[in-house]
Amino acid sequence: MPSFLEIDRLSKSFGEHRVLDRVSLEVAAGEVLVLLGPSGSGKTTLLRLLAGFESADEGALRVAGDEISGLPPSRRGFGMVFQHYALFPHLSVGENVAFGLESRGGGEARASRIAEVLAMVDLEGFERRRVHELSGGQQQRVALARALAPGPKLLLLDEPLSNLDPSLRERTRSELRRALARVSMTAVWVTHEQDEAFAVGDRVALLNGGRLEQLGPPEELYLEPCTRFVAGFLGRASSLVGVLNENGEFEIGDARFAGHGARWPASAAEQLAPGTRVEAVFRPEGLQLADPDEEENVLTGKVTSRRYAGEATFYEVEMGVGGRLLVAAGSTAAKTGDRVAVAPRHGGPLPRLFSEAAE
Amino acid sequence: MSSRYRRPLAWAVALGLTWLVGYPLLLTLLEALGAPLDLTVDNFAAFAERGDEWQALWRSLWISAASVALAALVGVPLAFVFARLEFPGRRLLGGLIALPVALPPLVGVIAFLFLFGESGFLSRGVQAALGLETPPWRLQGAGAILLVHAYSMYVYFYLFVRAGLARLDGAMEEAAAILGAGRARTLFRVTLPLLLPALVGAALLTFMTSLASFSAPYIFGGGFRVMTTQIVASKLNGEIAMAQVETVTLALLAFAGLWAMRRVDPGRRVVVGGVRGAAPRRRVLKRPGARLAAAGLGWGLTFVMLLPHLTLLLISSVPPDTWTVETLPPVLDGGNYAVLAASPERLRPVLNSLWMAAVATAGAVALGLMAADLSVKLRGRLGTALETLLAVPWAVPGTVFAIALATAFSVRAPLAGRFVLVGTAWILPLAYLVRSLPLTGRSALAGLRQLDPAMAEAAASLGAGGWRTLWQVRLPLLRPALLAGAGLAFITALGDFVTSIVLYTYDTRPISIEILSSLRLQDTGVAAVYGVLLMVLSAAAFLPRSGEEAI
Repeated sequence: MPSFLEIDRLSKSFGEHRVLDRVSLEVAAGEVLVLLGPSGSGKTTLLRLLAGFESADEGALRVAGDEISGLPPSRRGFGMVFQHYALFPHLSVGENVAFGLESRGGGEARASRIAEVLAMVDLEGFERRRVHELSGGQQQRVALARALAPGPKLLLLDEPLSNLDPSLRERTRSELRRALARVSMTAVWVTHEQDEAFAVGDRVALLNGGRLEQLGPPEELYLEPCTRFVAGFLGRASSLVGVLNENGEFEIGDARFAGHGARWPASAAEQLAPGTRVEAVFRPEGLQLADPDEEENVLTGKVTSRRYAGEATFYEVEMGVGGRLLVAAGSTAAKTGDRVAVAPRHGGPLPRLFSEAAE
Repeated sequence: MSSRYRRPLAWAVALGLTWLVGYPLLLTLLEALGAPLDLTVDNFAAFAERGDEWQALWRSLWISAASVALAALVGVPLAFVFARLEFPGRRLLGGLIALPVALPPLVGVIAFLFLFGESGFLSRGVQAALGLETPPWRLQGAGAILLVHAYSMYVYFYLFVRAGLARLDGAMEEAAAILGAGRARTLFRVTLPLLLPALVGAALLTFMTSLASFSAPYIFGGGFRVMTTQIVASKLNGEIAMAQVETVTLALLAFAGLWAMRRVDPGRRVVVGGVRGAAPRRRVLKRPGARLAAAGLGWGLTFVMLLPHLTLLLISSVPPDTWTVETLPPVLDGGNYAVLAASPERLRPVLNSLWMAAVATAGAVALGLMAADLSVKLRGRLGTALETLLAVPWAVPGTVFAIALATAFSVRAPLAGRFVLVGTAWILPLAYLVRSLPLTGRSALAGLRQLDPAMAEAAASLGAGGWRTLWQVRLPLLRPALLAGAGLAFITALGDFVTSIVLYTYDTRPISIEILSSLRLQDTGVAAVYGVLLMVLSAAAFLPRSGEEAI
């Protein structure tokens, strides 16, 4: 896909603190890219650089091949949905939406455009309402309508759902995603919630400490994390530390882990040399509990806690070889204090191996 | 206190406040209408027939309107510079530049006299530089009054707009920018409309202060009379009825101003949503030229704003009869201070002012806290009435109150709640107390409203009774608010001139009256020493607070 937005080795420091460190990524036209990361990862700074509220120390920003770094926000032709919506409280809903249409001339055309975008977010006839009369969900939709009204080249969304009640969040999320798809909007969406990132993003860029850790579709980030940080940040994970033997197998206690097709397959994020100390990261749904006396090539341990979470029950197992593993199993699979074996669940996510020094 | 006694107590407090605040005003109105002998509008008719009365009225109005415009012109840009730009010295200057508001009006006026007056530093300098025979200007009339007003009242706009800018969600301006608005459009369509509550608040405060202003018109007005000086002139000429009519007129004017501004107050209409973002970061000026320009402007303006303070300090160090025709005083020493310290007769006004201000402040804090507490707890009509009674003296010019108190408390009629206090030592502390009530009452109200009710409930759940909760939980939590109110009340009472000039007796003459008589005796050095004293005490009560805001 040809890239529409190019972010090229962008860096930004505040004083001594480098908040963005040579981040490069590209966004295709019509794509929704999610910037995900913990607080302080630089995702919001990256969004503000795109908007033009901050200027980068180094690097380039190109839209359709044109450098835009020198343009002020008002001349970039982007739209933005703010975290707290930033609706103008002294203007009506219609006047808010009209704010970006000033250059379109007045009268009929403008009024019909306002009606059109309000209809798009299911707020027909809300033109004269005051902002503070609206519910949080409605304010959020007005913010979207206002941003879309001028027909922006690119839409920026800064944690657009974080101010909504959890009960409203999931529904608004899919409505918002559908609205973007309907107008084939290219969008950059910042969030710190993995669920949100996976639900709305065509691709997800995971940032940490100002660096881009990994960029790809959600499945790729979850199943094939490139770094130990990505593996730990997304989903639930537990890990054990062992050594890579001469056969290229990860060895811990009596258990051996090898490549695809083996009894306990694993995948590695990087080329690992024999003798390296290796950390294996497991997803709870890639493991199962087994009878400690029957299975071979298993790890044994004792269940130290059990947590029922509806769709699965999570067992924390203190392993004989040291460390703890988190295993998802049926709600009656074991009791606290039981001795159990932990075995791979076929078809589940593979353990991911990282050289221990990498972290 | 137990809730059983709350309502009777509230009635008692409301009655007491009415006696102090409303009753004197009512009596003044009645006497202006000819009571107790008659009920007639003759006095008002006499007022309406006199051209000079209409002129004073008109002058009061236009001077106030012009003061609002000038103060906004200085204060609003300053607020933007200090709120939005980062430059060396910003924090310190941002606090210092608010100092003129802490200067008692009379002290500000004499500082201006020493600085811009015919024999002031600036006029002497210009005269010497241009080789003129006479001083280049006369500091008199409307221009002089407006100059002093703009100087002392820009601070309202500066403080209000700065606070407004600090509360403004930075995302508002960013939203405007990304929707294609340039700087000017963002300023006029977004930023200023959002600041409207702050601007209206500052305009209201400036207008009312200017309407009530007495020191500047009294010293600089000459033949240019406004309502406040007209009232005092009538009183001194013995035209008591006319003074009362003028007083009623000025009070009505003040109430009308208050009412009009309340009506257009957009604060009620614009409710900012529950969640807000942070204020925008200050723009750090990177280009050395811009940094230097901003810092230079900041330092320069602060210097100009503090020139009156510096002038006072300088004049207070000029020994008597040493400075005649030179541009700058040839001799400086601490002689004036020594004279003051050594003379019991000259220390007397200082002690007078101190004890009267202290008594008034203590009374105003106690009464304000009690009324505010009852008003918050009771809500309803009685609660609103208490809150209104606390606020009324703020809207009423000091001159009006002075005449009202002089009217009410110069007659002995204990059954009608009237005693002869005029001419005793108690009338001034009483006047100061009433004038301070809005300050202590409002800060007590603000403190009480911020107080988490769960605190008192937690204390109660731990077994503390009403008194223990009050002493160990509520009062310590209210302390910052009460101290702030008390500080303002104290400096207001200490520097009071406007009520003092109507009500003082020779034995209880306060500092401001002594300043005036020193000036009359050409004793400028000693007058300046009194001014410095008031300035230092006021700044001490004011600076710690402004420091907190200036972050």
